[in-house]
This record gives sequence, structure tokens and C-alpha cells, in this order.
Amino acid sequence: MKGTEVSKKREDRIGQAPKNFLGLSSRGEEVMAYWTFVLPGFLIYLFVMAFPTFFAAFLSLTNYRGGALFGPKSVIWGNIAPERKMKIIGFDYYAQMFHDKYFWLALKNNMWIVFISVFGQIPLGFIMAYLIFRGMIKGKDFFQTVIYLPCVISTVVIGRLWGAFTAPNGALPDLIRLFKPGYVAGNSTHPMIPVLFVILWMYTGTYLIIFLANLQKIDTSVIEAAKIDGATEMQALRYIILPALSGVIVTSAILAISGSLKSFDLIYVMTSGGPAKQTYVLSIFMYDSAFKGAPNYPLANAVSMVMCIISFTMIGITKAVEKKFGGRE
Amino acid sequence: MKKLAMVVLSLVLLCSMVFAQAAAEANSGKTTIRVLNYIDMSEPNSANEIAQIWDKFSAEHPEIEVIREDLFNEPFHQKVEAYAAQGNLPDVMYAWPSGRSETLHKDGYLYNLKSLLERDGLDKVYSATSMADQAGKVGYVGELPNGLTATSMMFVNTKVLRENGLEMPKTYADLVAMVPVLNAKGIEVVSMDCKDAWVMQSCLFSLITGRFGGADWADRVFAGETDFADEWFVKSLTAVDNLYKDGVINRNTLSIGYGSGRGDFANGKSAFYIDGDWACASFQTDVTTGQALFAPEAQKTDIELINFPAFDGEVIHESNSAVVGTGWAIAADIDADKLEAAWTLVKFLESEYAQTWRLTTGASFPSLTTIDVAKVCEEYNLEPLVAKRSDWYNNIQVATPVIDGVLPAAVFEVINTVLQEIGLGSTTVEKGVADVNAAWHAYIGK
Repeated sequence: MKGTEVSKKREDRIGQAPKNFLGLSSRGEEVMAYWTFVLPGFLIYLFVMAFPTFFAAFLSLTNYRGGALFGPKSVIWGNIAPERKMKIIGFDYYAQMFHDKYFWLALKNNMWIVFISVFGQIPLGFIMAYLIFRGMIKGKDFFQTVIYLPCVISTVVIGRLWGAFTAPNGALPDLIRLFKPGYVAGNSTHPMIPVLFVILWMYTGTYLIIFLANLQKIDTSVIEAAKIDGATEMQALRYIILPALSGVIVTSAILAISGSLKSFDLIYVMTSGGPAKQTYVLSIFMYDSAFKGAPNYPLANAVSMVMCIISFTMIGITKAVEKKFGGRE
Repeated sequence: MKKLAMVVLSLVLLCSMVFAQAAAEANSGKTTIRVLNYIDMSEPNSANEIAQIWDKFSAEHPEIEVIREDLFNEPFHQKVEAYAAQGNLPDVMYAWPSGRSETLHKDGYLYNLKSLLERDGLDKVYSATSMADQAGKVGYVGELPNGLTATSMMFVNTKVLRENGLEMPKTYADLVAMVPVLNAKGIEVVSMDCKDAWVMQSCLFSLITGRFGGADWADRVFAGETDFADEWFVKSLTAVDNLYKDGVINRNTLSIGYGSGRGDFANGKSAFYIDGDWACASFQTDVTTGQALFAPEAQKTDIELINFPAFDGEVIHESNSAVVGTGWAIAADIDADKLEAAWTLVKFLESEYAQTWRLTTGASFPSLTTIDVAKVCEEYNLEPLVAKRSDWYNNIQVATPVIDGVLPAAVFEVINTVLQEIGLGSTTVEKGVADVNAAWHAYIGK
């Protein structure tokens, strides 16, 4: 039977089908159901994600100085400060950003966070999940809970606690003085180290749970069969478990990269980007540009655009790596 | 069809309820005022403000409904900037005379209160300094100030000095001489809470620039007679560099959050503590708990307030950095029918009642000339620290500019960062001078 005939017969059937209380045919119902489910999500995405992104890109090319974009308020303020009138000026603020030493410092710190997330949290989360999954440690429920615990505590609380703990007048110097009397806390020459440590401590539990959930999906009989055939633990890991988890590893890496680039709350609470902007990250640089001292909204939007571009690039690289090396189950 | 009708009917019902509520509010005859309030979380008695000030206002003015938002420190300033950016400023807001509220003043977001003050004959009731032009605009009072604020108060733990056989310092060299004596016992000489970058600039460096640059350094800078590459500024930054190098201030103060060092000072972990005059309140008794960092008896013997000792080479002596105090402002684009209600609120917040209450808590000294501080101290049996504070103001010989009160944010933000970099030892005085001067010339070049 030719395709057109099948389609015609189906249409006939649909045409004869009883209509529902809204007077719609089955096909109409299908279409309506489709849009009912898709439209809210699509609209939310359009207005909450896509529009702000494109609007931020637009603002980064203007001299916008705050206040209403359009309408009478602009006219009133325009009389007082005519320079408030918005106009497109091109890539001036991108140039300003690339000439700012703190932008590069923030970018470097962000890369450190990406590094510690991808090469710290994920391997550590995997190792711990693997140890628990293979029953290599006792009290797995206890370890699982303790390692995951930081994930359920508010980031602000964690930031305040660690900030107070490591402060010169905090508990850590007091503890050190128990072993080294007369110790006076100084300023670290690497102020990002405490921040990186807390990030590692805080988020490793998330990856532990992700890996553990996916490890539990692997059929243990495959591992046992390999063992009977003489495979070592490392060989089972290399040839059975890691390939099976390659997709999860990539997903985790994407989560880690995007999460690292938008790091804000913990660092803002712990250090506010200080001292002397030494713990600046791009999101704090963006926030301070917009809301601290003399607001510079186009610069803040330019920073956010760079964050988007870096994020997409790194996720693209991760996907490419996965395509080349992953998924050999 | 029945179900659809039900859904539509429910929606109509919901909408009518929402709009009926709004209409009821509109017909209640109340004027609703949105307020952004600054509440100092580091002061033990600040929370009482809600009962003593805001609840009292609501009781006295049932026709005005106040929707209030309370914030403190950086989050307050950042929220103001966010509101300004949205074009959604509250009707009444706490504001600084310039610097920290630069956007509000410069871009015309605030109502000029001068005409209202003159209309109600209040311009003569507040002190002349608090009625001075603000933000460099002639005839402009953007916010009605609490009073005058001295931004560099040096608190002395006299108990620590006594126990270590030390005298009250007269010069910077005296402070340096205390370093080995106190550090040997694990005590810091001067403590500050410099984690927030504004603290060093506002609470000490402004005083230092006044000492080396004179009371008129800002006027000369704006007149183009000097800039930040000149000797006075180099000497000022060098003085800060020396404070760290000499060990008078520990570099680790850059990691101490604002307000959190006061307890250490009271517990004798440092001999001196530097903050603005507003910090005085945090050493007084919390009336809700009866607890105090310095109990009233201890305030008589264990704590003194002084001016920072003399620097070698300073051009003026016994000066302090001072600025017209913070206060209350009204949004420039406030609805005409709300203006009188907002002005009623601002007048109440700077009334004799409110200013006397703030004096009793130590939050601020009054800008109203009708308040007799000595009489209030006696009548309310105020703690000894209040009287000491009053004497301290009398000992200030010259008032010099506060950096974030006179310079634009584009410049004072760079100064803040340079001061922290010097504190870290990650930059030199020469480099810091160059950075600040470059920021200044970039600003005036615009």
C-alpha cells in the first residue's frame, strides 16, 4: 500500500472519530496536548533565558547608564543628565574589559575553579562512589551521608561558617595555636586556596551520588564474569565500568564547567572577591561592575557575554572529547 | 463544555478577588509609602528601632502605611543601585550625602528637600553644616542628615595599656614603640576590620590624607591645582604602607569582616581599634539583653576615645575626617499625592524624638540644634561612653574631607583597591599612586 493511501485512510478514520467536549478531533487533541505541554516551557525559556541573553548582548554594545530604557522617566532624567540617553557605541566596553587586569585575574580564578571541579570533584566523587559500590569500605551509608551532607546546607551558611572558621580571629588559628603557641594568622599569598578547598568539599558529594546511582545500574554479573575470566579490578574498571559511565562523566563535566563559571554565592559570602580582588571571579566582576560604586551596566553585560561564550566553548570541547573517546560500552 | 466553563469561571473569580483587594486598598484612604531602611546590624540596639521609631510612626500616622525593607552594609548599597537601574527606587530611602549614594545625587534620582525645608521653616532648626550643599550642587539638599559624622574614631583599651605599662600615644612613633611590647604577649597594637575595602579608606586613610594634604585637598584637586601624583598623596600612601610594615596594623586585618573585630578589642586582644564614630554604639549596653562589650562601669576606666596620633611631617594636627551625616531622602519621581506623606515620614525620622532616641543608643549625634546633648545625657542617665564621645568631638581641631564623600566612585574604588593591595604587600606606593592618578585623570577626561 502506498504511503499516500495510508495517510488518506488515517485521515478518514480521524475524520469519523467522535469529537471530545471541546469539539476537537483526535488529531486536534494531539496537537492541543502537544502545545499545552510545550508552550509553557517554550515561553518560559524564551522570556527567562533566551530574551535576557540577547538583551544582555545588546546592552553590552550600548552606553546604557541605568534607569528606564524608554518612557517619560528617561525624558525627566534626560533634562538633568542628557548623557543618560542610550545609544549604541559598539565594542568599547569589550575593549575596556580586555584591558582590565582584574578581568584576567577573575578569568584565571574561574579556570582554577573549573580545574578543581573537573579534575577534583569528579574523580574524587567517582573514586568514593566506586569504593562504596564495590563494597571496599564498611559503613557505606554513613560515608554516603557525610560526604553528601554539605550539598544540603545553604551555600550562604557554608560560606559564613568557613569564612569565620578561617578568619584570623576565627577558630582555625586558635586550633593551630594549640600545637604552635604564639602563632599569628597571616594573609595567604594564595587566597584562592581556601575557596577551592571549600568548593571541593562542598560539591564532591553531588558527583558521588550521580556516580553511585549510575554504577548501581551496571549489571554486577558482567563484572563478576570478567573477574572469573581473570580480569583484575583495574581491568574491570578500565574496560567495563568507565565505558559504561562515559556519558555520565561527560554530563558531570558539563555540570561542573557551567557551575564553575557561574560560581558566585559561596565566594561572595566567603571573601566578597577580596582582599584586593584576589579572589575575584567573572560573576563577581560582573556583579561589582553593575552594582558597586559607579555602576557600569554595559561592562557587566560584556562580562556576562564572555562567560556565555567560554561556557559554550568548554561544553563543546567536552562533547567533542566524549564523542572521540567515550561510549565504548 | 461544562468543564471549560468551570475553568473560565474560576479564573474570573480569582481575578475579581485580586482586583477587589487592590480596589479596597485604594479606597482605604491610606497613602502607602515604600521605604528602604539602613539598619546597622553591628549595633546591639539597632533592632529596637522598629518598635521605637517605625511602630511609633505608624501609631501616630495611621493614614500612612509604610512598607519597609531593612538592609545593612554592602547589600544596602547594591540594592539601591539595582533599584536605580530598574527605575524602581522606593519613595523614601536612607542615603549618604555623596560618595556611597553618588548615583542618586549625580543622576537626579532624589527630590531636592531644600524647598520643603524652607517652606516649613526647618532650614534654621537643623545645624548649618547639615544644611550645606550636597554632591557639589548649589542649593541642593538631597538627604536630610542626622548630623555630622567623623569617620575615624580611635578606641583605646586603657586596661591593656595599664597592664603593659604603656602610656597614651601622642605620635605615630609611640605606636611603633608599642609593637614589640604588645606582640610579645600576643596582643595586636591597632585592629581594624578591613575585609570590606571601604573601611581603611573611610576610617583611616581619609584622616591621613587630611593630615598630609590639608583640609582643602579636595578643593585643590577639583580646581586642578594638585593631583594624586603630588607629595601629599605619596606621603599618605607611604603612611599606610608603614602602618603594615611597622606592624602597627597586622596584614591579616584584611581578612576580618566588618564589625567582627570589636569583640576582640573589648577582650584585650588589641590595644586600639579604629572605626567610624558610629561604632561607638556597639560598645554600649544592649538593652534587650543587658550585655555590653564594655559595661558602664568599665566604660569609665577601661575605654577612651582619641584622635589618631600625629604623623611625622603632617601639615595639620588633631584633624579628623568628617562628612555630613547620612539621613533620609525622597525619590525625585515620587507621585505628587505621596509627596506630603513621604515628607511627613522624613520629618519624623529626623525629629527631636527620633534624634534623641538615636543619641541615647549612640547611633548618631543630632543635627537638630534644639537638642541639648548634655541635658539628654543627664536626663536619660546615659552611659559614660556617650559623654566621652561628646568630649571627643570637641577635641577635633580641623575637619578634613572623607574620600568617598568627595571623590567619584570611579576614583575612590581604585583607592580602596590600592589600599588593600598595599596591605597585602602586592603593590608599591609608587604603583598605587600611579593607579589612583590614572583613574582620576580618566575621570576628569570624560
